[in-house]
Amino acid sequence: MDNVFRVPFSNVVNHLGETGILPLLPLQLNYREKSLEVSARLDTGAMVNVLPWSVGLELGAVWENQAISLKLSGNLSNLEARALLVAASIGDFPPVQLAFAWTKADNVPILLGMTNFFMEFDVCVFRSQSFFDVRPKGRQ
Amino acid sequence: MLSAQSKEMEQLKPVLQQLERHEKLLVIQFLATELARQEEVLLVPNASYPVWSPLEAYGASDALLNLLANPQTETNG
Repeated sequence: MDNVFRVPFSNVVNHLGETGILPLLPLQLNYREKSLEVSARLDTGAMVNVLPWSVGLELGAVWENQAISLKLSGNLSNLEARALLVAASIGDFPPVQLAFAWTKADNVPILLGMTNFFMEFDVCVFRSQSFFDVRPKGRQ
Repeated sequence: MLSAQSKEMEQLKPVLQQLERHEKLLVIQFLATELARQEEVLLVPNASYPVWSPLEAYGASDALLNLLANPQTETNG
């Protein structure tokens, strides 16, 4: 098993039709019986992982069942969010449990933030070479 | 001796000088956009960009850390 999962930056087009490249990480989310292949944005500025409304629903999560309400900041501050634990598989690494702030917003990307993606994985970004490396914590 | 590009710029100047004020501002905006594109910068003047990052959501972070330590508290009942 490789210790490093190397991912090229992805070409993206924003809402103004402008193009750019972003560090998007492909991963598989598993929640109970459901599984979903997604692409999530690495966001070192985000205190928490963020899961958009529709992705939570696709995973089969039930809003009313989630007991912990969260207060987010920025553009998400006016919308409700609740805590959701989801298993995530990245590359060939063993699955880890990610804690998401599941927001009622749908026009937000999946964000991987400090709690707890960056606590589980060490990431090195090589923007000048348009790729980034991901490795589970504690691996050299 | 002026290069071809410099000559073109010299020819442009009198044309630009004759523009109305609002047209000059449009030219400035156009050039700023062109520079941004060339430098792969995804920011354009006068455009609005959403910032989704929950930058200072310390309480939410604490709540998620507590949940990871006590996953049985995730759901009702």
